[in-house]
Amino acid sequence: MTSESTKVAGTVAARPRPRPMPAMRSRWRARWRRDLPLVLMTVPAAGFLLLFHYLPTLGNFLAFKDYNPFLGDSAIEAMFLSDWIGFGNFQLLFEDPLFWSAVRNTLGITAFQLVFFFPVPIALALLLNSILSQRLRGLVQGIIYLPHFFSWVLVVTFFLMMLGGDGLFAHTLRDVGLRMPNVMSNPDTFIYLVTSEAVWKDVGWGTIIFLAALSSIDFSLYEAAAADGAGRWRRLWHITLPGIRPVIVLLLILRLGDALSVGFEQFFLQRDAVGAGAAEVLDTYVYWQGIATQNYGIGAAAGLFKGVVGLLLILAANRVAQRFGEQGVYSR
Amino acid sequence: MALPFQDAAANRRAFLGLAGLSALAVAGCTSTPKGGGTSTDVNKIDAILPKFKALEVGKPDILVPPPAASGYLSYPSSLVDAITDKPGKGGGVIKVTTLNWGTVPPGLGSNKYLGSINTELGVDMDFSINDGNTYADKLTAILGARDITDVLVAPSWNTNIPRFPDAVQTLFEDLTEYLKGDAVLKYPMLASFPKEAWQGSVWGGKLAAVPFVNDNPFAWALFYRKDILDAAGLGPAKTADELYQLGKKITKPDQGVWAFSDITDYVQMIFKVPGAKGGWRVEGGKIVNKIETPEFMAALEFLVKIFKEGLVHPDLVGSKGADASQLFNSGKIVVQQNGLGAWQSALREQLKINANYKIQPMKVFSHDGSASPLVWGSADPIFYTFIKKGLGKARTEEILACLNWCAAPFGTKEWELRQYGVEGVHFTRGTDNVPKTNDLYNNEYANQFTFLSGRNAAVTGGSDTPNYVQDYTTWTKDAVKYLEPNPWAGVRTEDPVKLSQLNTPTQDLIKDVVRGRRPLSDWPTIVADWKKNGGDEGRDFYAKALPN
Repeated sequence: MTSESTKVAGTVAARPRPRPMPAMRSRWRARWRRDLPLVLMTVPAAGFLLLFHYLPTLGNFLAFKDYNPFLGDSAIEAMFLSDWIGFGNFQLLFEDPLFWSAVRNTLGITAFQLVFFFPVPIALALLLNSILSQRLRGLVQGIIYLPHFFSWVLVVTFFLMMLGGDGLFAHTLRDVGLRMPNVMSNPDTFIYLVTSEAVWKDVGWGTIIFLAALSSIDFSLYEAAAADGAGRWRRLWHITLPGIRPVIVLLLILRLGDALSVGFEQFFLQRDAVGAGAAEVLDTYVYWQGIATQNYGIGAAAGLFKGVVGLLLILAANRVAQRFGEQGVYSR
Repeated sequence: MALPFQDAAANRRAFLGLAGLSALAVAGCTSTPKGGGTSTDVNKIDAILPKFKALEVGKPDILVPPPAASGYLSYPSSLVDAITDKPGKGGGVIKVTTLNWGTVPPGLGSNKYLGSINTELGVDMDFSINDGNTYADKLTAILGARDITDVLVAPSWNTNIPRFPDAVQTLFEDLTEYLKGDAVLKYPMLASFPKEAWQGSVWGGKLAAVPFVNDNPFAWALFYRKDILDAAGLGPAKTADELYQLGKKITKPDQGVWAFSDITDYVQMIFKVPGAKGGWRVEGGKIVNKIETPEFMAALEFLVKIFKEGLVHPDLVGSKGADASQLFNSGKIVVQQNGLGAWQSALREQLKINANYKIQPMKVFSHDGSASPLVWGSADPIFYTFIKKGLGKARTEEILACLNWCAAPFGTKEWELRQYGVEGVHFTRGTDNVPKTNDLYNNEYANQFTFLSGRNAAVTGGSDTPNYVQDYTTWTKDAVKYLEPNPWAGVRTEDPVKLSQLNTPTQDLIKDVVRGRRPLSDWPTIVADWKKNGGDEGRDFYAKALPN
């Protein structure tokens, strides 16, 4: 039972119970009638998962084949007609130093963003939560959500127009006789650049879940604490943060599961600017070495590797969270 | 919050798992994917080629040695109606995948250019137009998924992607029976294509595509803004050093002006780096790749200098998304490496915005100004037009008849309609008879039927692109003399997988050195790695493919 479903079950239990039916069948029908709207609401999401996540997952067996897409009468048939080669694709993958360099870059960026990106939306949500005027709050939220809907091409171009050698800052600094430091094409500072871009783009969007969690904290707790003389910081530390801790832990675990994905377009676009040494991440590696050269087997192997590592990280993080008395993503 | 040891334990387990996996691989329970790599000598295939039958329509005024195109200075006052039958036989919409460099025009139903030609054809052709710069990536995806339209256009430089020959055999119709020998006479316009072009269309012993006759064998030209250089009292460069000095003088960051686009390829040409088949040459019986040559080192040295001193526009250094042509046209860069094909349309469009706009390609030169520069290029057909397999005889013939219509040469009504659209709608005719195109044309025309046609474009123009024909032919007449001979001419190659996988990492390393992220002194190590990781395999492959 996951914590999510326990919660749902809780709310269901609070509804007026249908009268107990003697026959199994009619009880089932009654429940069906009662839950139909809920089921209908989840159908699109379940369909989406099935079509775009579970079905493609079946294709993972290509990682163990020398896939030639032009065998047989269709692309599906080609999957089955291609030769089994065991772990050959993995062997090539693990022998390639460029693969490990991509893994290193990806993990480095994940670790960095875990420290310098992950907490930012929490802080921002706390700030937003303290704005009392609903209109002002709505306005700020609207503005900070907006960049989430920009494509990466726009975001990178925007940064280039601001911070590039021909950008606004460079020209302003030049007018007063200063030199703009090289920001856009410096591999050493690339990790700060991509993190800033990611923060600019997604920090507002990231606050949504935290704001929802904040709104569920019982307000009377604050009143009681204030009456007992607790200051602003103590209330934050003893009420607010514990209140949203399950959500923070949940998101942290999910983020760890995604440790090997840090995005694609952002790195694809800026790759030449800082070189593959800094900008090659696992997804761009798969693109260049798997898709662009029709080596789908290698691509599938890298994808499977990514999935397995992600799963192990989720399991580990979940366990750690449970040791600390949190619910985590699921429980046994 | 997280217990470091727990995490580490999990990671160690994962790591051990991986190590075990590798051990399994080493133990021989497994084999690596096959390496690919095929070559065919198409010089040896004559029996299946279509018969050549010349068309007599118009004589060029300025003759340029082939494969470069000749020029027409005057426009015929009366046009020939070359095709009177409607090629369409009511077979429904023909879906076409093609490419272009530029903005995507309006589609079927809201595009008068498409509409008027489709009326003429008697059948609707509907185009899906892809970005020419990233077409290879798109092509690998759609071929792999077998998600192809009735007609597909592929440029010759994209046909060496891995498994392309397999894709041709599996996905595209064998046109041999439709076109070989006298059969082609049913399509008189296609019958006038030279034999060399058809040779290029043979895959696996079958005629697999309609070729686009090469009239622009040149890989690159180095364009400069003549108006800007004239105003500064400067002229085009004749040596590598002059090019560098020019760059130093013209770069003015405080005015937002930089000298160059990314001219990495052109600089290699200046330093006479080999360019055949992606950079191979024969040196006294040995096959050598460009990155192993001293010429390449010299080119790298020059490139490092111009990047280090900031002579290349920072936007182009900073993001893949930046548009060099746009910066060039707005005068933010002064020298751009580009294909000759972009010349006329840029001139036509920019003259409407800026009456002073003048561009010229620099006369080809070598680094030391010596008399024998080197020009990269290829005489292969520019594009291939493939027809989907299994459409049936009637449909394939209908499509071929449409291609025949598109291939009508300069001097015919069909050519004018295909090239300029409809008089009064897309262009007006000047006193010299030459069509002068308008904004609607610029908006709707994207080489849709042109890239399908196979017909080399006639070099012609009027008052909307003044002096273009003379300037173009002057440059090509000179440059064609220095075209690098290709030892593998007529040999179709599909690179071994290892070599094509080496492609991106090598490009990355060249960029790393050129942009100063790695010292030039690392180059020998990089070359040694390259040899080990597939370079030598590529060398053996090209040695074997070399025609005796």
